[in-house]
Amino acid sequence: MAALSDFINLYLLPGLVVGCIYALGAIGISLLFGILRFAHFAHGDMMTLGAYLAIIFTASLGWSPYAALPIAVVGTAIVALALDRAFYKPFRRSAGIVTVIASFGVMLMLRSAIQLIWGVDVKTYDIGIRFPMEFGMLKIAPRQVTIVLVTAALVVALHLFLSRTRLGKAMRAVSDDPDLARVSGINVEQVVRWTWIIGAGLAAAGGVFIGIQTKVHPNMGWDLLLPLFAAAVLGGIGRPYGAVAGGLAIGLCQELATYPWFSDQPFVAPGYKPAVAFSVMVIMLIWRPTGLFRGRVF
Amino acid sequence: MDIFSAGFLNYLIALGTMSGIYAVLCLGLNLQWGFAGLFNAGIAAFFAIGAYAAAILTTPESPNHLGGFGLPVVAAWPVAMLLSGALAWAIGRICLKVQGDYLAMATIGIAEVIRLVIKNEEWLTAGTRGISNIARPFEALPTPWNALAFLGLVAALVAGIYWAAERAWASPWGRALRAIRDSDVAAAAIGKDVTQFRLEAFVLGAMVMALAGALSAHYFKFLGTTATEPMMVTFLVWVMLIVGGSGNNRGAILGAALIWVIWSATELLTNRLPGEWITRTSYIRVLLIGLLLQIVLQRFGKGLLPERPPRMIDDRPKSG
Amino acid sequence: MSLLQIQKLVAGYGAVDILNGVDIAVEPGKISVIVGPNGAGKSTAMKALFGLAQVREGRVLFQGDDVTRLPADKLVARGIAYVPQERNVFRSLSVRENLEMGAFLKPGDIARRIEAVLALFPPLREKLKQAAGELSGGQRQMVAMGRALMLEPRLLMLDEPTAGLSPLYMDQIFDRIVAINQSGVGVLLVEQNAKQALAIGHLGYVLATGRNRFTDSAANLLANREVAESFLGG
Repeated sequence: MAALSDFINLYLLPGLVVGCIYALGAIGISLLFGILRFAHFAHGDMMTLGAYLAIIFTASLGWSPYAALPIAVVGTAIVALALDRAFYKPFRRSAGIVTVIASFGVMLMLRSAIQLIWGVDVKTYDIGIRFPMEFGMLKIAPRQVTIVLVTAALVVALHLFLSRTRLGKAMRAVSDDPDLARVSGINVEQVVRWTWIIGAGLAAAGGVFIGIQTKVHPNMGWDLLLPLFAAAVLGGIGRPYGAVAGGLAIGLCQELATYPWFSDQPFVAPGYKPAVAFSVMVIMLIWRPTGLFRGRVF
Repeated sequence: MDIFSAGFLNYLIALGTMSGIYAVLCLGLNLQWGFAGLFNAGIAAFFAIGAYAAAILTTPESPNHLGGFGLPVVAAWPVAMLLSGALAWAIGRICLKVQGDYLAMATIGIAEVIRLVIKNEEWLTAGTRGISNIARPFEALPTPWNALAFLGLVAALVAGIYWAAERAWASPWGRALRAIRDSDVAAAAIGKDVTQFRLEAFVLGAMVMALAGALSAHYFKFLGTTATEPMMVTFLVWVMLIVGGSGNNRGAILGAALIWVIWSATELLTNRLPGEWITRTSYIRVLLIGLLLQIVLQRFGKGLLPERPPRMIDDRPKSG
Repeated sequence: MSLLQIQKLVAGYGAVDILNGVDIAVEPGKISVIVGPNGAGKSTAMKALFGLAQVREGRVLFQGDDVTRLPADKLVARGIAYVPQERNVFRSLSVRENLEMGAFLKPGDIARRIEAVLALFPPLREKLKQAAGELSGGQRQMVAMGRALMLEPRLLMLDEPTAGLSPLYMDQIFDRIVAINQSGVGVLLVEQNAKQALAIGHLGYVLATGRNRFTDSAANLLANREVAESFLGG
């Protein structure tokens, strides 16, 4: 039984938590792709930005990161709106790939700005040590429960937004057919603004969760980019629910791949976790480039 | 500063050599982006493969990494280029049939995986310790002739690739690629195998990038994990090509030289600042280079030397 | 004053001009019909008005105001509704959501307007929760027209609403266009089925190679032998 409890406590649960974090980032990539038709390369750095904005309050005011989270979300959304206005809006009518280059530039600018303001050292939120709760053989850290529950709540909120509100439905309409949305009188720019607010806000929440779970450093956005893209491709890019499933799947795959499945050595060396995400992405591109959920509506 | 001093001459030679290596990278990227409209976000992967292949194949046996093949430099380069081309072929086969954004995402992925392999597989690459004692052509010559000769070699390669790329640009192959780049639907309609043409451009570009990697390994005589640094390899090359003018081979060379001179001259200046400011200003430089890219993209989308139709068409007598 | 006046419109896609100075008008509460051979540029005027083709010269007046090059949402707000020929429903949205999207600019009182649309297109009532992409061509056309009517427009522009439909649906759609018109909505109709379209229309325009060939009352055009022989298939 020891093996099973290790499997759950050291691989399955962390995989779920990482999966939640990936899901929060991948939703934004998928939504933005659906609305603006480009792969947003700076999205990982939006997560970094959220994590660092929270540090302002945890470090100087001694706040709990959970209390700083809403402010980080709002702050990141505002920065995203400003970046869109300055660097993406001029290319609305150009080919999507030019916007990808612009986002490539924004990625570097965001990262160097973060390095300039906060330095390059690894930082942590000072949460103090909390002992894991034990349920029989399960050892669950309170932060793991919080991350999973808050992610679930955010996904439910996103679902209600997309299925019940006028703006959410308009967002799906623009993603479905931007030209028809425009001639129907839908204010596409308003939809774009809300896409940034939601995408960047969820990314910031994911970034803060990374800080709560482990640590924060300026390059983490780059490390996140590959799993986020893999999650978005897996879920069928442009489909936010698919991105949630894709995020969870990539997170679980990465962690479970390091389990000693066939010998007493990790099946995949922990240093190669991002390669697992890449393999999943490549397999999807070969087998089913439209993603697992191509048939679903979003 | 005495402009006739040996130090300044060495600096100029170094500046020229690095500009040349970046020009090779830029010409490679121009084959992919300028000719064919393919977004490669993993230039570092192909650069690193070229660099490590050249280093491993030419260095003497070492306990730190795979080696002892003792190949002459000229024999190692084609192998390095072939390896990179093979990787590009594999990734291109998978991604080029689908939309452009997938290639962008997959190339980020391949660059990450290559970076992990180089970092983790110490038996192969010596990991973070890096490979040292890489031979540099002409290093037996007296200073400064050794450096000058290497600069000459780099310049000759830039000229050769430029010549070949110009020929390609004017050829039916180049015309077909531009047609595909501008409208793949229209090109497919007139019977062009869109995927095949794109694959050829992608593989050729990757091979040129590998040559740049090999040159850089020999130039520095040392190769470490910085060769896979996305900032210095992938991002800077994109800025160079966009600023110089994508779709224009001269623009690629001009952009490489210009951005490299700006990059290293500002480093020279900021290094005179007090200690803590040196690190700070290095981030400001990245920030400003990013801003420069945005300004060029928005205001001068075609770059300093915009794309032109090949000379063949220009030289026709104008009627009317 | 005409409801819509298109004056000397030159428009096209990219570098190619499709329309070379075309005049078209719709009178309040009347139906204008544009017919003509394939490639004559029948749809281009509508597309140009909504920014899907580029206007090079000429202008468009709506109720006397210059609306040339206004953004689409401004046109819709003034009371111009447009149903493109293809891709005219949000496929992944339900029928009800499609109708709601038509009312994006005026969100209040949606239920009453949906009822009005359902009264006009009864078959949609039981499909309200179904994704519009799953409907048949005729039903999709109804959703598209219903979506356009949600803002209670003054002018409805329909681009080949019967293209690809079975004769049964075709008659239904023409019948509904008449019903919509009788409620006081001006209609600009582009049609391949020229005879049927002119039969319900008031003013008729025959376009050929991007220019006005014939302009007359729809009844006169139907009676005109030259028009009949060259453009109405004998």
